[in-house]
This record gives sequence, structure tokens and C-alpha cells, in this order.
Amino acid sequence: MAKKHWLSGLAIVMSASLVAGCGSDSGSNNETAGSTNNESTGGTKTEEQAEKPLEKATFTYFVGASGKKDRNTNETTIGKLLEDQTGVNFKMEYLVGDLNTKIGTMIASNEYPDVLVPDAAIDKVIDAGGFIDLTPYIEKYENLKFVFGPYLNQMKAADGNIYILPFSTVVGEYMPDPNINQGAWWVQRRVLKEAGYPQIKTMDEYFKLIEDFVAKHPEENLTGFLSLTHDWRFFATSNQPMHLAGYPNDGNVLVDMNTFEAKTYAANEDTKRWAQKMNEINSKGLFDKSSFVDNYDQYIAKLASHKVVGFFDYGWQINNAQLNLKDAAKKDATQDDFVYFPLPVTFDGGKDQYLDPPGFVKNRGVGVTVSAKDPDRIMAFFDTLLSEENQIMRSWGIQGETYEVDANGRFYRTEEQILKIDEAFREQFGFKYFDWDWPQYNTNSTLSDGNALSPGLQPEVFQMGLTAEDKTILDKYGVKTYSELFAAPDERPWFPAWGIPKEQGSPQQIWETKKDELTKKYIPKLILAEPGDFEAVWQEYLGEFGKLDTAGYEKWYTEQIKAVIDSLK
Amino acid sequence: METNTPSLRTAKATPKNPTGIRLFFKRLFQQKALVLMSVPFLIWLFIFKYVPIWGWSIAFQDFKPAKDFMDQTWVGLEHFRFLFQEEAFYRVLRNTLAMSAINLVLGFTTAITLAILLNELRQIVFKRVVQTISYLPYFISWVVAASIISTALSADGGIINELLLWLGVMKEPVLWLGVGEYFWGILGASEVWKNVGWNTIVYLAAMTMIDPAQYEAAEIDGAGRFQRIWNITLPGLKPVIVILLIMNVGNILETGFEPQYLLGNGMNVDYSENLDIFVLRYGISMGNFSLAIAAGMFKTVVSFILLFSANSIAKRLGEARLF
Repeated sequence: MAKKHWLSGLAIVMSASLVAGCGSDSGSNNETAGSTNNESTGGTKTEEQAEKPLEKATFTYFVGASGKKDRNTNETTIGKLLEDQTGVNFKMEYLVGDLNTKIGTMIASNEYPDVLVPDAAIDKVIDAGGFIDLTPYIEKYENLKFVFGPYLNQMKAADGNIYILPFSTVVGEYMPDPNINQGAWWVQRRVLKEAGYPQIKTMDEYFKLIEDFVAKHPEENLTGFLSLTHDWRFFATSNQPMHLAGYPNDGNVLVDMNTFEAKTYAANEDTKRWAQKMNEINSKGLFDKSSFVDNYDQYIAKLASHKVVGFFDYGWQINNAQLNLKDAAKKDATQDDFVYFPLPVTFDGGKDQYLDPPGFVKNRGVGVTVSAKDPDRIMAFFDTLLSEENQIMRSWGIQGETYEVDANGRFYRTEEQILKIDEAFREQFGFKYFDWDWPQYNTNSTLSDGNALSPGLQPEVFQMGLTAEDKTILDKYGVKTYSELFAAPDERPWFPAWGIPKEQGSPQQIWETKKDELTKKYIPKLILAEPGDFEAVWQEYLGEFGKLDTAGYEKWYTEQIKAVIDSLK
Repeated sequence: METNTPSLRTAKATPKNPTGIRLFFKRLFQQKALVLMSVPFLIWLFIFKYVPIWGWSIAFQDFKPAKDFMDQTWVGLEHFRFLFQEEAFYRVLRNTLAMSAINLVLGFTTAITLAILLNELRQIVFKRVVQTISYLPYFISWVVAASIISTALSADGGIINELLLWLGVMKEPVLWLGVGEYFWGILGASEVWKNVGWNTIVYLAAMTMIDPAQYEAAEIDGAGRFQRIWNITLPGLKPVIVILLIMNVGNILETGFEPQYLLGNGMNVDYSENLDIFVLRYGISMGNFSLAIAAGMFKTVVSFILLFSANSIAKRLGEARLF
């Protein structure tokens, strides 16, 4: 309490000095403030804002994910253009260390950045009352209304307010991704080449392919199969049975398409069948035991080392390694052998569901916090950002500089432009900063003129980016894009089930923590066990697993999924 | 002057030498400069060490950060019950105690041994070099140290495995971090590698306080090098050792967090998970601050008991003690 008074005292002193400072250096201050007020009451017009020189403002923007350098948005080309339109700059800060610790500190002190992307900790911040209700702003601003209007019901939190602008609202038509960004069983291209490009559909075929290749190249000291297990990324290993059984990534449950019952699979027959196979692979010396102790960096390094023949993972997790391999292949065609190729493998070659159905992830997004100095200004910025021109700018860039338009109005990029847009350029231009973490049209959206919002999804750009070797291998499988190899996703309105919010410290969360602990402990044991001991370890695992309240967890999920379906009726 | 004036004024009421509360205030007055100097630190202590104890009330609530104190739901000992009924809690408690004990014993013996060896060195340059090398790892952050350790222990090309294979001790590389039983040993060795040099500093300082005349006398009496170490250096170090031991016993539930967190993985979790990681996983990660506080309280109480018993044992044995 005392702290709060002290802080508000400080805030008063500071704002007083701010006002005094502004007043002394420009007489137009009052006028500007007045016009901002008028605008906020009378709805916004982007042009109007651009005409009047707005007072510059800087807000803090914290992103609960790591991987980018902290930076002011106006230091990037896109951010500067947006600042010219709105007068708003954001000081972006990215996560260092543990997300929950960082968010926990914010909650405990009740001091937040102006804008917060809490990633997996959304429920915590909502629970703590850290976000303001955005409903009135969505009503007020037309672009916000346009993008989020159709999803308002789904965006509501338990108390009926809207705290989060999700990143996954599709605008226009749904544009499928030609690349594989989701789960797949990857294998080095040379393996397929040597084997004469066989159709690989079943788990047994996949591992046979790897086994044969490793046996044929004993001198290379190859690793047959690798798996990612580090920390929270463990799901890349524990999700494998779910996908083999022909389900998309719903998290911890398999949802029956007829009855909509949710069942966990962590200890079912699918997992056993998969573990048994992995155990066999290990006993043949094809499995890299270090999988269970390596961290994520070591894993990526191994994938880039040419030594790993196959692995299962999600495309977005291996991007770094795959891009390196592809870059090398672009410079030297013989290196193409080491690029990984995605395969839709299931237990018995049945229909796969690796591609995500159009989903609505409601537990990821961006919110404005209770500490925000001027929420209206921030929301006005978001509104400007969500205009179509600005969405084109943040994903395609500037016409003539980073993309071209042909006679038919189709967007494309020239070869030089594609070459120019490397990691350093993306950072400087701002593509890297605006590609996620902001209110946006979903990646799979289309523009009003039919162009894809994301350059990577525009068929012309995708084709342009393919090397001769890419085309060869796609030709061999009779497809034009990687995603054509995979079955079209079924419609799953609740998808993804892992996106259904859970209450803090609820039985569901405790179940998940305990289940994670168990699988982290027993999956290595199962895979590394002597084949003769497998059954005994499995029984031990079942015994431990039986102590969890799995029935309660499944019941909760079934109810939630049915509720989503009912809400759409 | 000290005895005259007050005794004149109060000769009737009090004996010559004041006792009890009167003595206390008298001494207080005599040492007023000292008292005044310590006031800021007392205030600091009060604000940062005593006021936060108020936060312990959270352990008895279903704490929700946004709500006011009065709006919290009180659940009594619910969180303690969860803690003590949780099977994993006893496992992490065992790990914490085991790792602490290992660190305590190894930390003391290696640091004292190294300090004595360094003290015996006559070559100043060599001594300085050894000392510098041995305390360099102390300045490496655990994040970096953990990745050095896991690289050294790696099954493909890690130096430990390569060395043992080359020596013919083993036939196959061992996944050191994948075997739970090895974890305590690995952690103990890592802690020694990281801290031994730093820990010797205090002993080396203590050794400089030993009167050189004692060594000369012993040498004249014909004491050998080991006899001198045994009869002069070690007894000279005893007060420092005892004090440090008492202080460390109080910290026995603080095994540190980083090395276990960074080196731990699914395969050694049965041995690597300690109390702090447990609290992180079930408390802070789930937003269950109440449970985290309950575990913290448990730690404090245990540390308190250990510290006081160690101190009173030292007192009974007539050794140096903390208070």
C-alpha cells in the first residue's frame, strides 16, 4: 500500500513535469491534446491523424518469447512509417530467461509494460486482472471491428470481457501453407533419392528406409533417428504417437470426430506401439541416446551437421537448421542431399492429419495492461496497423523495394528481392519485428484483391523460391507444394484443444504437470530399456500413470470441446 | 568520573555497579556513536527482512495477486497438507539433503586441503598461478558452466568419455547425465571445480594470522612438514572452520537452483530435482504462489532449527560459535 502511494506520488510529479516541459517548448500543445481528444470521441480517420502533427509517444511492449533483439519500432523501416502515421513508437522488449518467472514478477508488483504479449502465461495475467477490457475499443475502431468482429464471442473471457487480441483471426479466404510448418517425419533427401523415391506411408516403412540407408553407409558414422526432448519442447517427442494414430496436434488429448469425446493417449495402446518401435530402433543402434540429454541448441546443431538421417518435429522448431541446409544447397547443388524432406507417416498408412485445420487459438495474443498510460492511443495504433495497406506493408514491404505487382495485380518478388531479404535485412526493415506478436491478419489470410497476405504463401513466390532440386523431388512425388503430400485437414471447430484456457493451479494443470513429469521420466526408460525388459517398464509406467486423475481431465476436456461446438451452433 | 557522579546522585537506590536494565542503558549511552551508526542498518534489516514476513500470510490463503488482502480466500493449512501428502515432495527433500551434504563435505575438505597445499608452497609465482586458475571458474555463470559440463560429459566426443575409452576403463561411452545415480556425484564434482579456489581464500587469510614463530619453534623441535600441518595449521584454522560449518548447516536446504535446473533432464529427474525446482514447477509455474510460500516457510523453519542446534552443539563442545 505504502508503495502504491509512493508510486502514484512519483507519477504525479513526473506527469506534472512532463506537462510543464511540453508547455514551455511548444505553444501548440493544447491544441494537439484537444484534437486527440476529439478524435478519440468521434472515431478515427487515419488520414486525419496523418495531417495533424501528433505528439510523439513511446509505449513499452513486452513479448513473452525470446529470440529478437530489444529495439524501438521506429528504428525499423516499417516501424518508422507507422510512427509517421500515428506518432506512436514502441519500445520492444523480449523475454530473457523463464517466462513464468518474468510474468510472475509483473503480477506480484502489479506493474506491467503498456502492451503485453504474455505467450503461455495469458491466463495468469487475466486472472490477476492485468489486462483492460478491449470491448469498447473494438466497437469504436473500424479496422479492429473488421478483423475481430466475427470472433467476438470466442474472444470473450469467462467474465464476458475481451482482454486479448488473438493472432489467429483469418481475414478473407483461408490460404493454405505450401510449406510444412507443422509436424512431419523428416528424412534426408538423399535417402529418398537412393531408394528411388518410394512412397512412405507407414511407421515401419519409414524406419526400414532409415535402417537400410544407415546399413549401406557404415563409414559415415550416421545417426539413424534423433528426437527433441529439451525442457518444454518435450512434446516434440511425446506427441509422436498422437500423429501416428492419425490425429492433429490437439495437445494431450485425441478427440473422437463422432462423439467429440476427448481421450488422453499418454498411456494408451498407441503410445505403447510407438514406444515398442522406438525401443526396437534403439536396440538396433539407430536411435541417438543423447536425444534425452541434449539441449535445443545441441539438437539444432546435430540437424545441421548432415549426420542425422531422420527425425520427427514441427517445421517451426527446426527452421534454423533447415534454412541453413537450404542456403547451402542454393550455393552448391550437391548439398541438396542433406536438406530434410517431410513425410506424412502414420501407424498403418491411414489418413494423416499433420496439417492444422483452420483454428482459432484463443490463449495466445496481445493485450493492453492496466498500467498502460494511454490505452486509446495504443488501440488507435493497432487500428491503423490493421488497415489493409499497413498489413501489406508489414508482410510484403514497400512496392518496388521488397515486392512487385504484375499486370494482373498479383504480388511477387524478383530474384534479387528474394536474395536481398535475408535475416539482417528482415531485422533492419522490421519484417522480423512485425511478423508475429502484433494484432494482425492471420498468416493464412488473403487480401481483398485475392493476393496472399504472407509472401511465403503466395503460390508465385513459393514457386520462385524453389531450386531445381526442390522441383525434382516434388515432381517425383507428383506434387507442386510440400503440403500437397499431406491429407487435407478435417474441420475441427475446437482446434487446437491445447488452446482452451485452463485456470491457474486447477486440477487440469496439475494433471498436466504430473503427466509431463511421468512421460519425461518413463519415455526414455521405455526406449532405452533392453527389449526383454520393455513390458516390465511399461507396466511400471502404467502403475504410476494410474495414480493420476485422468478420467477427470478427460471429462473436463470433453465438456470444453462440446461447449465450443454448442457455441457455434 | 564514571563511578562518581551517578553513584553520588543515586547512591541510596542502587548498588555501586548497576545491573539489569540500568546497565543496559548505561552501556547504550556509552556506545552512542556505535548505536547511531548501526541505526540505518537496523532500519534496512527491519524493512527488508522483517516486514516481508507479513507475506507468509499468503501461505494460508488461496492467493490471487489482483485481490486485496481482505478479499482473499483463507484455506488454513491446505497448502501444507498438499505439500506433505505429495510423494514427490519427499523425493525432492531427500535430493536436497543429499546434495547439500555432499556439497558441504566435499566443499570443506577440498578447500581446506587446497589451502594447506597452497600455504606450503614456496614458489610464489607458481602459487599465484595455481590460485588464479583454481578460482577462475567461480566467476563463470552457471549457465555457461552447465553447458561446459554437459559438453564434457557428452556421449559423442565428450572429453570424459574419450579419456576413459582411451585409458581402456570402459568399452562404450556412458551417458553420464542420463543415469540418475551419477547425478549427485557429477554435481558434487562440478561444485568443487567451480568453487574450490574461491573457498580457499578465507582459509588462506586465516593462515596468515598464525604466528610464524610457532612454525619456527616446531621446526627447531624437529617437527616434520606433516606434523606442522597437523599440530599448527589445522588447530589455527579451527575457529574459522567451525564458524563456516555452522553457517553452512543453516543453509543446508539451499542447494542452489541453477546447476540442478540446467543439468537436470527427464532421465535423472529422480535425483536432480530439488526443493527449489519443485517449488518452481508446482508453485510459481502454475501461479500457485501460496504453495511456493508454504514451501519457503518450511525451508526457513528447518534452517532455523539446524542453525540453532549446530550453534548449541558448538557451544557445548566449547568451540567457537556464531552467537
